[in-house]
Amino acid sequence: MSNKSDDILEEYSNKEYEFGFVTDIEMEVAPKGLSEETIHFISNKKSEPQWLLDWRLKAYQSFLKQPEPHWQNFELPKVDFQDISYYAAPKSGAKYKSLDEVDPELIATFEKLGIPLSEQKVLAGVAVDAVFDSVSVATTYKETLKEHGIIFCSISEAVKEHPELVQKYLGTVVPHSDNLYAALNAAVFSDGSFVYIPKGVRCPMELSTYFRINTQNTGQFERTLIVADEGSYVSYLEGCTAPKRDENQLHAAVVELIAMENAEIKYSTVQNWYPGDKDGNGGIYNFVTKRGVCRGAHAKISWTQVETGSSITWKYPSVILQGDYSSGEFYSVAVTKNKQIADTGTKMFHIGKGTKSRIISKGISAGEGQNSYRGLVQVSAKAEHARNFTQCDSLLIGDRCGAHTFPYIESKNSTATIEHEATTSKIGEDQIFYLNQRGIDTEKAVALIVNGYAKEVLNQLPMEFAVEAQKLLSISLEGSVG
Amino acid sequence: MITTTSLYDQLTSLYKEKRNDTESPWLTALREDAFKAFARNGFPTTKQEDWRFTNIAPFLKDDFLLSPGEASLLSTKKTANIPHLDAHEIVLKNGMLNEDVNIPGVTISPLRTALKNDRFKDYLSKHISLNAQPMAALNTAMFEHGIVIEADKNSIVDKPIHITHIYNAAEPVFVQPRLLIIANKGSKLQVVESLLIIGESPIFINSVTECYVAENAQADHYILQTTPGNVRWINFYQAVQKADSLFNNYTYTLPGGLLFRNNLHLDLNGTNTESHLYGLYLTGPGQLTDNHTCVNHLNPHCFSNELYKGVLMKDSRAVFNGKIFVQQDAQKTNAFQQNNNMLLSNNAIIDSKPQLEIFADDVKCSHGSTVGNFNNEALFYLKARGIGEAAARNLLVNAFAFDVTNKIQIPAVQEYVEKLITKKMAEAYDQQ
Repeated sequence: MSNKSDDILEEYSNKEYEFGFVTDIEMEVAPKGLSEETIHFISNKKSEPQWLLDWRLKAYQSFLKQPEPHWQNFELPKVDFQDISYYAAPKSGAKYKSLDEVDPELIATFEKLGIPLSEQKVLAGVAVDAVFDSVSVATTYKETLKEHGIIFCSISEAVKEHPELVQKYLGTVVPHSDNLYAALNAAVFSDGSFVYIPKGVRCPMELSTYFRINTQNTGQFERTLIVADEGSYVSYLEGCTAPKRDENQLHAAVVELIAMENAEIKYSTVQNWYPGDKDGNGGIYNFVTKRGVCRGAHAKISWTQVETGSSITWKYPSVILQGDYSSGEFYSVAVTKNKQIADTGTKMFHIGKGTKSRIISKGISAGEGQNSYRGLVQVSAKAEHARNFTQCDSLLIGDRCGAHTFPYIESKNSTATIEHEATTSKIGEDQIFYLNQRGIDTEKAVALIVNGYAKEVLNQLPMEFAVEAQKLLSISLEGSVG
Repeated sequence: MITTTSLYDQLTSLYKEKRNDTESPWLTALREDAFKAFARNGFPTTKQEDWRFTNIAPFLKDDFLLSPGEASLLSTKKTANIPHLDAHEIVLKNGMLNEDVNIPGVTISPLRTALKNDRFKDYLSKHISLNAQPMAALNTAMFEHGIVIEADKNSIVDKPIHITHIYNAAEPVFVQPRLLIIANKGSKLQVVESLLIIGESPIFINSVTECYVAENAQADHYILQTTPGNVRWINFYQAVQKADSLFNNYTYTLPGGLLFRNNLHLDLNGTNTESHLYGLYLTGPGQLTDNHTCVNHLNPHCFSNELYKGVLMKDSRAVFNGKIFVQQDAQKTNAFQQNNNMLLSNNAIIDSKPQLEIFADDVKCSHGSTVGNFNNEALFYLKARGIGEAAARNLLVNAFAFDVTNKIQIPAVQEYVEKLITKKMAEAYDQQ
């Protein structure tokens, strides 16, 4: 590595987090600590029905019983669950009829984030259910969606207005006892999004939610539930930017997707939580449980993720391929730099006949970043002619980073075909030389090569996100020339 | 959390009563450490990541005899016969070497005698992590017999050394043989190992082999696991390579026996080394074959290549776990790993886990893993040309295995393995 690139590396490493600002709004915050009272408090605040409270309490009991996981490929920092406040809502009230009523500071925050809340941005065709810490502030484009019979609202609203749907589907994909963090989420989830697409409806626009952690020491526990009824289609976008903090914050979200017969759900994530500074101080712990189930025949679920933030990212968006001929996809780009850790991958459970899955995972490690792909492809005895293709590639930039792959492949059916391949390499000197020769400096050459490397995944993103993702990727790569 | 079985208790008390004062103090100390490690961890359970697909508990239930009788009781003249193999034959009866063997350029001595020499302190269990490997720890604590094969400096051993382990399984036995192979600087040797069991009773073999390949040396090791009988074999193999050395390991597991668990660990302790690990497992009814390999690249400019192929028949089960570690200093590493499987029955289960852990950037590493069945078109093509179903199958399986079998450098062994594949497949499908 040349001195020049060392300089760039240093310059970039010292770079302040771009989205680090704090909105000064008075918050209503629950006292720190976790107990049955906390859960009663949250449930009360949100005037929830009894069944939901009971479910939360069950989850809490299960949370208490579960030991901390120990199988991950990194040292799990001690999270003091009693030192977190489990509820925070902007005090200025939670219900707004129009944008004028919304606290201007809040609007300013969203504008800084580039969330298209205002009128002209609505023209971009994106309906946004913006979660500011925990309470939904404004939802746009609701009317258009209503015409199609689509329900897109915060989950607390859904509990009030469509209790039968929520009760029917909540926790059916990720049970309340699934894992420690999922149990915690089930017990204390503050808000999130709920989407229901009725039979045969093709959602006319990309649905999108921006999450934002704002109050210090408030862990965010979103719960997203998307149900696509027979023959429907929806594309859902999730994006995150969080303000800078010196203390680690826990983000334990749960996402459940349910696709009925012939339905298709496309779920895209661009994750850019605060990654901590160059010494690994601060940053978000992103411990998320995401799972989808293809209930009916020919259903399809596709996960796409671009992970550039968080000090620790730990998630495995999975698909249970229950319906015959259903298919699951997973496309991922994970970038780690400084002391970031990403332990991510997917699980594909082939249960139905003729089920298909495709996994493309691209890891990029720079600085002292550690990137792990951990995946499972499981073919049950009844999954005749199941098909899987997995490719997980790692790109290493610098000699202090690491790339790891832990794929599990299990087949119980002789007609199944499973392929897995993985490669690890650095950016070829010959490739850089080729570009240099043509007058492209090394920095740009690397960006070009990496963008090409990640193209297969980025191509899966909806237009609105592809731009942001490419930008994020380039920012992440600045100064990582090696 | 130790699962105590009666065997665990038996072993513990046997260890305590059997303190051998004639051994060198370093060996006693090593055994003590190893025993503590085993006592602390107990037999591995499926709760441990390395054993999650292989539950050995059912194989430990028999009432084993821990110290098999004297070798002289075993009067058989049989050896594992590999036709046309021109080799130096060594027969170990119940783990013991009874006759003097003279091979030019090689010193072969019973382990017990050899270990009186303190220089083996630098070899024995030097690279085995006793805490992480409870079975190897148990062997280290309690092994009684075995041999040391040492190739002299710069000696090229003219013929392969064929070791036949013969065990008397008239009653259930639990044996722990140990093998130490040292290829000194510039030497070259080939070792072929086969197993022969006499008797129908269960036999549990917990063996450890260590192979040290010094600078510029070459060692080839063939392990043929193909014995009928009620065999459970857990083998821990630790190879250590110094600079500019070449190491080849060939592990072939064929039907016969109930459980084969091969742990193959390779430490690349020098630069410019080359290593090839080839494995084939053809699993028969009720058989469980588990291959765990771990290649540890510690130095720059090393090349390792691993190819394991599996064919699963009937209600068999196979596990493959291949790890490649490339440590921070191991720049310019080329490491490849591939595992291909054919699942011929819906009752068979394959668990494959190829794993890479890379801490250096200037490397080329890849792994691949596939699971599938016969190519129906290929099968149809052959049948359309008048080749019967069974013959066509045989042809395809042999072709599939060819990538691994043609790597065998001893023609007699290659022929032997290929014929066995055909035979064992026929046996498995005749039972239908």
